Amino acid sequence: MLSRVADNLYWMSRYIERADGMARMIQVHQNQALEYVQNDQQLKEFWQPVLQSICAEQVHPESDAFQKIGKVLIFSESYPNSIISCLFLARENARMVRDQLSEELWLELNNIYLFFRNGDALDLYNQGSDLLLDRITRFSLVFQGLADATVPHSEGWRFLSLGKYLERADQTSRMIDTLNLRIKEPTRADLMSVLRCCIALSAFRQQFRGNLSLQNVASFLLFSEDFPRSIRFCIRTIDHSLHTLSGVPTGTFSNEAERLTGSTLAMVNFTDWNQVQSKGLHETLDELQTTLIEIGQRIFETYVLLPSEIKSLGERSSANFTQAQQQQ
Amino acid sequence: MSLPNQFQGYTVEHFFDEMFLDRECLQARAHYEKIFHRFDRLTEEEISERRQQADASFLEHGITFTVYGDEGGTERIFPFDLIPRVIPESEWTVIENGLRQRILALNLFLNDIYHGRKIIKDGVIPEEMVNSSKNFRPEMVGFDPPQQIYAHICGTDLIRDDQGNYLVLEDNARCPSGASYLLENRQIMKRAFPQTFGGMSVRPVEAYPDLLLRTLEHLSPRKSQKPVCVLLTPGVYNSAYFEHTFLARQMGIEIVEGKDLISIDSCIYMRTTRGLVQVDVIYRRLDDDFLDPMVFRSESMLGVAGLMEAYLKGNVALANAVGTGVADDKVTYAYVPEMIKYYLDQEPILPNVPTYLCWKDCDRAYVLDNLENLVVKAANESGGYGMLIGNQSTAKEREEFTRLIKAYPREYIAQPIVSLSRHPTFCEEGIAGRHVDLRPFILYGEDVEIVPGGLTRVALKKGSLVVNSSQGGGSKDTWVLREF
Repeated sequence: MLSRVADNLYWMSRYIERADGMARMIQVHQNQALEYVQNDQQLKEFWQPVLQSICAEQVHPESDAFQKIGKVLIFSESYPNSIISCLFLARENARMVRDQLSEELWLELNNIYLFFRNGDALDLYNQGSDLLLDRITRFSLVFQGLADATVPHSEGWRFLSLGKYLERADQTSRMIDTLNLRIKEPTRADLMSVLRCCIALSAFRQQFRGNLSLQNVASFLLFSEDFPRSIRFCIRTIDHSLHTLSGVPTGTFSNEAERLTGSTLAMVNFTDWNQVQSKGLHETLDELQTTLIEIGQRIFETYVLLPSEIKSLGERSSANFTQAQQQQ
Repeated sequence: MSLPNQFQGYTVEHFFDEMFLDRECLQARAHYEKIFHRFDRLTEEEISERRQQADASFLEHGITFTVYGDEGGTERIFPFDLIPRVIPESEWTVIENGLRQRILALNLFLNDIYHGRKIIKDGVIPEEMVNSSKNFRPEMVGFDPPQQIYAHICGTDLIRDDQGNYLVLEDNARCPSGASYLLENRQIMKRAFPQTFGGMSVRPVEAYPDLLLRTLEHLSPRKSQKPVCVLLTPGVYNSAYFEHTFLARQMGIEIVEGKDLISIDSCIYMRTTRGLVQVDVIYRRLDDDFLDPMVFRSESMLGVAGLMEAYLKGNVALANAVGTGVADDKVTYAYVPEMIKYYLDQEPILPNVPTYLCWKDCDRAYVLDNLENLVVKAANESGGYGMLIGNQSTAKEREEFTRLIKAYPREYIAQPIVSLSRHPTFCEEGIAGRHVDLRPFILYGEDVEIVPGGLTRVALKKGSLVVNSSQGGGSKDTWVLREF
């Protein structure tokens, strides 16, 4: 497979996962605010940690307009992580690799693009933001379902999977982090919201019954063995995909991406809440996010830049290729 | 309730009409009878339903082109007209033979001017015409391209005059586009009017991608193994990008950009997730100028540094060859009938439109005196840019062209205004006659292959003679019928 194609598939998949996470995050918090926030000042305090966790502090609506924050996070074309930006970028990447996608997959993505482009999305939002956000999360579920059901599970699909799980691990870590960033101790409602953002409420209840605490919620989202949005699950899947791509057995490594993922997986496998606490939850998450970014870069170098091959053949600078790398 | 009668009020006027025999009573030609009755009896609901279906299908599938100079690089669909253009097989056979003859002559000509230049020495074509052609590539002199073929893929535009004679308007021997529309239009028509196909015996066109791939594979320098062919695109912002992905997908080959390729020791490799893979044949949809910044335009980011060297050493094949632009120079065009006689010792089957060359003193004098009755074209432009249609021009435009012709006589040709044939087409006022042309796609590999028909382009604006997509043209499905 062409390196550039692998890169496009990876980013397409990442942007869709990002749009999905964003939609759920907006919906859950808007919902929570309805019951728990009385005035504009409280609303601002309520949203700030959330915006901080997703690096969206620059998205400042007028101080009295936090009511509109959801709309900005959905429709702002100048904010690169808004839902509309993610969907447009996903389509742009898809457009370059249409030959790798099933027709059904392309139609699904192109339809949501046209839905935003022609203003129907805004109309639906005006009827009720939940209607639009539901539509977006349903789109991403259908898209990911189709990707699994209609794309051959060969190389290209592995890159879809890498993009999806790296983004998901990142999102989960950021959602947990909102709990650290709140001024007061996280409330029961805050914990519920984080679980809802990760669609983890039922899975959590099965394991912990009603025992809602910061320790239980964070442990579950970090370390759950089998919940498909836990950090551990995501990193294990990335590790597996990388080893399937290279054909090297897990537990060993043939490139930097594998080495880094493997050691991160070992760290997650052999860490418990006590260690998280002694290091600090925020610090743990921060370090994890840095590692995730680095894993993404190593994948890019290994499969797209091909530095070792180019170096040995030594002809052409890879400068314009580095420029092609997209914004994290 | 009366039956619908869509053709009520349709007028043939003084044009050659593809569907109707004569002016007075609407008598459909035999090969159009079924189509005529089918469309005449369509209800308004059926029409709008099928049109919406077709438009939605194009948009959903992303079958779009990008309009240059439009803010934000808007993607538009190439307007599609539902009424198909029909060509009986007897006519098609003549066209096919004419095109075959033409591509052979053009290739012999290209080979000749990059080698011994016999045609010039024998006084058939003036030397300065070749040397002054913008697209003549001195790098190609003395080089033998794979299989001695230069133009492997050629789109030759045909028009019909007021008597219905087919004439060649121009040859596109560099990177002709439109084949994807030809294929998609057929798919859409089969979905929208399945019954109409029944009993008509329409010749299929779906073989095009396979024939194209075979044409490419024929050029591979490494005969020992399955050739690695790729399609080189300028990228996602090119107006024909959809076509590039479409054809690559249909052929099952990689679509690459310049940055995906790298030249090492005069061989071309593509970067893949499994490392570097050597490339044998490049179907390039990039003009010569952008192919290799080391040889042509140095600021081009679209090409591959070192590609020309690899090509000239015979390590990679290009389709079309470098330097084929001499053949679609509109000044060269004027000499194609002579080439056919000279190289093939045959009479041209498809005549040219009479052409005045502004660099000849007598022709130029005539052109300048008769601007109002002529079409003036830039010799090296395509896509309907750089053109003056005399009888539709303003005095100011004619002044400007007078100045240009005097300043750059080599760059301009002129032709009488041919009143192109018209075809019934859905317009705002109902079905009305609109001017059409025809672009068949000729493939020259082991054999010359032409899929039956081609892309019929239609000028949707009333009275307009310009059919290019960039200038508000649309297209139709083209049916070549097996003889009844």
